[in-house]
Amino acid sequence: MIQAPPPTKVAASIVRLFGPHARVDTLHVDSAAVLRISAGDSLLGFAQVGSVIGKDQPITFLVAIDPANRLKDVDILVYREPYGGEVAYEAWRKQFRGKAAADPLQVGRDIRSISGATISVHAVTVGVRRMLAELTAWHESGAIR
Amino acid sequence: MSRALARRALVALLASVATLRPGRAAAQERTTLGGYGEVHYANRTGPDTPGIVDLKRFVVYLAHAFNDQIAFRSELEVEDAKLEGAQPGGEVALEQAYLDYRLSDALTVRTGLVLPPVGIINETHEPPTFNGVDRPGFDHDVIPTTWREIGVGAVGRVPGAEGLSYRVYLVNGLRAAGFSAAEGIREGRQEGREASFANPSFTGRLEWARPGLKLGGSFWYGGTADADPALGTGAFAAPITLLSADARYDVGAFLFRAVAASIWVSDAEAINTRYASAVGSRIAGGYLEAAYNLLHALAPASSQKLNAFVRHERYDTQAAVPAGTARDETLARRITTFGLSYKPTYNTAFKGDYQLLRNEAGTGATDVLSLGIGYQF
Repeated sequence: MIQAPPPTKVAASIVRLFGPHARVDTLHVDSAAVLRISAGDSLLGFAQVGSVIGKDQPITFLVAIDPANRLKDVDILVYREPYGGEVAYEAWRKQFRGKAAADPLQVGRDIRSISGATISVHAVTVGVRRMLAELTAWHESGAIR
Repeated sequence: MSRALARRALVALLASVATLRPGRAAAQERTTLGGYGEVHYANRTGPDTPGIVDLKRFVVYLAHAFNDQIAFRSELEVEDAKLEGAQPGGEVALEQAYLDYRLSDALTVRTGLVLPPVGIINETHEPPTFNGVDRPGFDHDVIPTTWREIGVGAVGRVPGAEGLSYRVYLVNGLRAAGFSAAEGIREGRQEGREASFANPSFTGRLEWARPGLKLGGSFWYGGTADADPALGTGAFAAPITLLSADARYDVGAFLFRAVAASIWVSDAEAINTRYASAVGSRIAGGYLEAAYNLLHALAPASSQKLNAFVRHERYDTQAAVPAGTARDETLARRITTFGLSYKPTYNTAFKGDYQLLRNEAGTGATDVLSLGIGYQF
């Protein structure tokens, strides 16, 4: 089975988002693995890896949130589709930064699409919205802390 | 497999499934079925022109990923619902069938029946992706959509230049024997059917994208003589050169598109002499399209779209003619299309439009009312 992205890619993503000295612990919630990122006594945020199906292939991505449940960033870890790789561009991903679970996170409303990459754009947006909602719910309920 | 081994394999499988998120997992090898299609109704003005309904396209998309790097992808198309011996129309054809070998984000090697990356519609031709029931006339008579040929190429992102991507292919060439005055290079395509490789041709595209904006430039260069001594036997004998540029820009409720292309048929005179045709030595034109999503104002919270659009096409398959060929002014086409596209989801569309078909000669003015549905998945 795939979906496990190369650990180096996840590690590089965490370093990019939280800095080189962040500590990473893995928490298990509802069969999901959530990465808890901290430095010393302070919580820096949470991250999770997931996949959505684009046209015919899984797109593997990472979503990171800060302690206030604001989306820090989305990283595309593995992209395997023939068209639509534009979702990995920072110019597209940065639209998600600062979003909260209460935001629409809908293509055409607060997320702009890219022509020729429509399927990937919709798939990743739905995946990020779902993951942000889950992480937020778990954090608020104390399932992750 | 022994029973113990089978049980162990099952336990391992269940364990690995349990660590995955439901609905987000996939086996390493996976087969995908998809498709797109469109049904049209068209009614031309004038006497003795009853409306016509047509199951224009029914396409099955079949893909298989062998692992993270190697995938096969194909589209099998039925046009006009059925084929019947001796009757015109109808086609069963492969639109694409290729193997992708992904080496990195910057390089995927693609081999098989591929789409020359020219213009907008040739590669992105699923009905919900464009306005208007039918594809633009320009994407029939100038860029011969759906254009596919057999070859090998490379696609990927340009490293170190975010937003920039490329596709380049070496494919079989066109055959001048099929060129015509009204449809330019269209019937010169070989479409993967025992195609002559007498004239290897190059095609490619550079594309720049950011949210809401995509700009592209494409080319095709190759001979068309097909080893006919009257046209020359060299690999690049009777060459054609195609250059095109396109832009798509979505801002707020507005969506804009523009495409322009020019094709130079440098040996048009010899081609016309050899095949008694009237091919232009230059084929050129383009279109501009603007659309406005009415739901942006009427129902801002909706993710549905109701696009009102207008498109103006100007193209001429005899923009220039060689010595000995008379120019036909009716081939300088001026097509204006306006209509609505209702998209309850991004991959389904209900369309209606009205077309004014005109030409430079000012003859044969025709209007067409069209309705249609389209889907992709």
